[in-house]
Amino acid sequence: MNTTRKTAGAIGLALGLFAASGAAADTIKVGVIAPFSGPFAQYGIQYQQAIETYVAQNGASAGEHEIEFIYKDVGGVNPDQSRSLAQELLIREQVDYLAGFTFTPNALAVGPIITQSETPTVIFNAATSVINKESPFFLRTSYTLWQVSAPMAEWAYDQGLRTVVTTVSDYGPGIDAEVSFKAAFEAKGGEVVDTIRMPLSTTDFTPVIQSVKDQAPDAVFAFLPGGPPTFTYTKTYNENGLRDAGIMFLGTAETEESNLQGLGDMAIGLTTAYHYSAAHDSDLNREFQAKLHELHPDGIINWASVGAYDGVHLIYEMVKAAGSDGPAAVEAVLGMEWESPRGALTMDPETRTVIQNVYIREVERNAETGLLENAEKGVIATVGDLGWDQ
Amino acid sequence: MLRRYGSQYAPAVLMIAVAVAAFFAFPFNLAFLTRILIMIVLVLSLDLVLGYAGIATLGQAAMYGAGAYAAGLFAIHVWADPVAGLLIGALAGAALAALAGLALMRTHGLTLIMLTIAVAQICSEIANRARDITGGADGLRGIRMQPVLGIWEFDFIGRTGYWYAFAVAAVVMVLLAVLVRSPFGLSLRGIHQSPERMLAIGAPVYWRRHAAYTLGGGIAGIAGALTAQITQLVSLETFSFALSAEAMIMLILGGTGRLYGAVIGTVIFMWVHHTAAANDPFNWLFVIGAMVLAVVFFLPTGLISLPPALKRLAKGGRHAGS
Amino acid sequence: MDLLLNIAVDGIAYGMILFMIAVGLSVTMGLMRVVNLAHGGFALIGGALAHWLGAELGLGFWLAAPLAIAGTVLIALPLERVLYRRIYGFGELQQVLATIGLTFLMIASVNYLLGSTLLPIELPPALRQTVDLGFRQLTAHRAAVIVVGLVVIAGLWGLLDRTRFGIRLRAAVDNRDTASAIGINTSSIYMLTFALGAGLAALGGILGAELLPIDAYYPLRYMVLFLIVVAIGGMGSILGSFVAALAIGVIETASRYLVPDLATIVFFGFVILFLAVRPRGLMGSA
Repeated sequence: MNTTRKTAGAIGLALGLFAASGAAADTIKVGVIAPFSGPFAQYGIQYQQAIETYVAQNGASAGEHEIEFIYKDVGGVNPDQSRSLAQELLIREQVDYLAGFTFTPNALAVGPIITQSETPTVIFNAATSVINKESPFFLRTSYTLWQVSAPMAEWAYDQGLRTVVTTVSDYGPGIDAEVSFKAAFEAKGGEVVDTIRMPLSTTDFTPVIQSVKDQAPDAVFAFLPGGPPTFTYTKTYNENGLRDAGIMFLGTAETEESNLQGLGDMAIGLTTAYHYSAAHDSDLNREFQAKLHELHPDGIINWASVGAYDGVHLIYEMVKAAGSDGPAAVEAVLGMEWESPRGALTMDPETRTVIQNVYIREVERNAETGLLENAEKGVIATVGDLGWDQ
Repeated sequence: MLRRYGSQYAPAVLMIAVAVAAFFAFPFNLAFLTRILIMIVLVLSLDLVLGYAGIATLGQAAMYGAGAYAAGLFAIHVWADPVAGLLIGALAGAALAALAGLALMRTHGLTLIMLTIAVAQICSEIANRARDITGGADGLRGIRMQPVLGIWEFDFIGRTGYWYAFAVAAVVMVLLAVLVRSPFGLSLRGIHQSPERMLAIGAPVYWRRHAAYTLGGGIAGIAGALTAQITQLVSLETFSFALSAEAMIMLILGGTGRLYGAVIGTVIFMWVHHTAAANDPFNWLFVIGAMVLAVVFFLPTGLISLPPALKRLAKGGRHAGS
Repeated sequence: MDLLLNIAVDGIAYGMILFMIAVGLSVTMGLMRVVNLAHGGFALIGGALAHWLGAELGLGFWLAAPLAIAGTVLIALPLERVLYRRIYGFGELQQVLATIGLTFLMIASVNYLLGSTLLPIELPPALRQTVDLGFRQLTAHRAAVIVVGLVVIAGLWGLLDRTRFGIRLRAAVDNRDTASAIGINTSSIYMLTFALGAGLAALGGILGAELLPIDAYYPLRYMVLFLIVVAIGGMGSILGSFVAALAIGVIETASRYLVPDLATIVFFGFVILFLAVRPRGLMGSA
């Protein structure tokens, strides 16, 4: 690759020129690109809190290297900004690792440059399978939509549900969720009666819910982006008596912890399949939460927090194994197994997304704290990225 | 005569000097500087439409997005030459503006604003639904450009991208400078000030406005094509209302109806945003909000009127003192 | 038949919520001729106050909602004195910039004080139960919104068409100088009208929160929706906004029942078609 070599030369030149002004040689910098402003600022805040928690537990150095995190605000879905921040981090701050990435386009936009600069990049959230095909330097500690939607469908069939209507927001992730659910459910022998795609701008879900009710399936599968749509959808589900009509709610991230208390009592009984619940019963999880709440008493903990926490662990392991040598670092952690607050994880050498447990959960009110939580009812699958070959 | 030209070209010379100085002063922020240049092209297009022709719009992103997707698709499927891509982007932007303009240019005020918003929203929804072609919400990826004019390869640090975007912005600027001084440009100003009088003297007001909107659309399309080529990815956000609104804020901030106003407004807004967001992202909106309010209340014709305002202030101060 | 009834019921309920939120904008923007993009900001302040009073202070909905509306008006009055009084005289573009700047400050303040997550407003049990319509259920909340909407439209009509205040307001808007000359205190009329607009925004924000949930970025997220209602209704016509909101509610609901995945395109297509044919809106005056 002539281009790559030339670029590497250019970077080398830049590095050489500015080595004097750079940090001490044994410090390895990690650039975190995430939204810290705007409606999605919660993601950035959670990443930062989880990172600080990991550092507080494990120290600020990995092996012989000091680790320093540099946070950059990308605002929202903004690939232009994401890419230019990545360039700034790589060239000016001379970071050796990148991390963060809440939205798929923001991750895809840095694909070409991290391939050129050979920078391992850990995705804390973005959940489209296709991202990891864009560069061999992408590693993902969150999940993919296939990973949770397909087990949900199989579990639903095993529970005796035979007919389902899917209702998803009409955009990439929603369609991924619909396609994967449908494929898995029909492979088992169930029937997806109707697939409704709702435009992202939908504010009133009553028509959708009413249509579902009229078709009287055994269950309705939903996928919506977090925030206002999820909030109104679940409200509408309850208000229109679907639960009373015996139409079960099946979801994934809809009951995530940052908005769960806001949903109130109507959320009780909602069933979701997901890879992390803040209520997961393990010592590691309790230690993680205790430490985080010690540092940030009001901090919210959900899948974005644990994605970042495990992502930092992955970065520490890469630094220990290979320092700033990107390709060697990625090579070192492929196939790595470790215990996370969410359960056992393996970094899949092929898809570079973690293989993890998917739990079936039900929203309950915790008798002790009086707060709503996603109570885990069991592991329904241990899977890697099922969407990789699609 | 010479002096007149001297003062006329002084800002242009100054801008080139600033661009060169910025290149050497911020060698590691070229990607950000390039984004400012692209935004300048978009805001310039808005200045032609809104500032000169007086067409109220909050949907300039429609043409920006059309240019971005057209240039991106062209690069992927047909030819990855950057300059050809720019032309395609310009054509797409102009075609969309010409088509929408047929209906839009019959209306004014709030109605016109709402129509421009609606057009952008429909474009966004179409791009979202045509997932097989555009990649939908994941974005259009796989754009790999050939060297500019077959000579300069896009490099990692973004030097080529910076000079390429600068050259495009400069060409657009010169074209617009010529255009607004031409009889066509003068008639646009006339229509802006008093459409009735222009109608009375026999000017085809509707078609003049339509032409201005189409030209503005073409330039917005160029800006969109630039962003597609430099980011190598096009997302649905290129059509977003937020982008249209931000471009409008930058323009009014700098001062409408003056090309340098568009440039100054864009640079100041993006620089303040960048700095404020870097220091306290969670609260940067305070800074932007306060800045916007301060400009409207104290510099009603935009930041471009800051130097004369300061001059007046200094003079006033002297008078008061003496 | 059931489908038609469903569309009618849901469409009217949704349209009434849109009306509740947009009517305040119709007052400030239509009657007072201010391009008031900060309208959603006042709805946000109302909703955020109601959330705060309910969740933090533990007040019940029936107490929290009126207090929140009163609080919003109290915040709006000094803003009118200090900022809007000067904004009235600006050109349209300057008004856009000034009110957007103000919106940014409102968002930043709520974001700073209450964070960027959703700010739910707990409804009282009376509004949470469902009403049986025979062929289907409707929540009491939506039924209540329909009633309040009718009360608001009737009240505004009475206020603007049947009282001295309404006559003076119209005189003040039509020609401020003449109105002042014949002894109308235009500045207090403007202040009262503005306060009315802000109060209605808060009411709409609180009542509409079931469909358009409150969070710090609420004003930007729904700005376009509010503007569309006013544009379709026609500037300066309260009745126009009312009819427009219902029409939009029914059309959007119908498209969600019939062609759910095309609903956005149908909606904006309709907006374009309508405004191209009737640029002044349903009942707009020249």
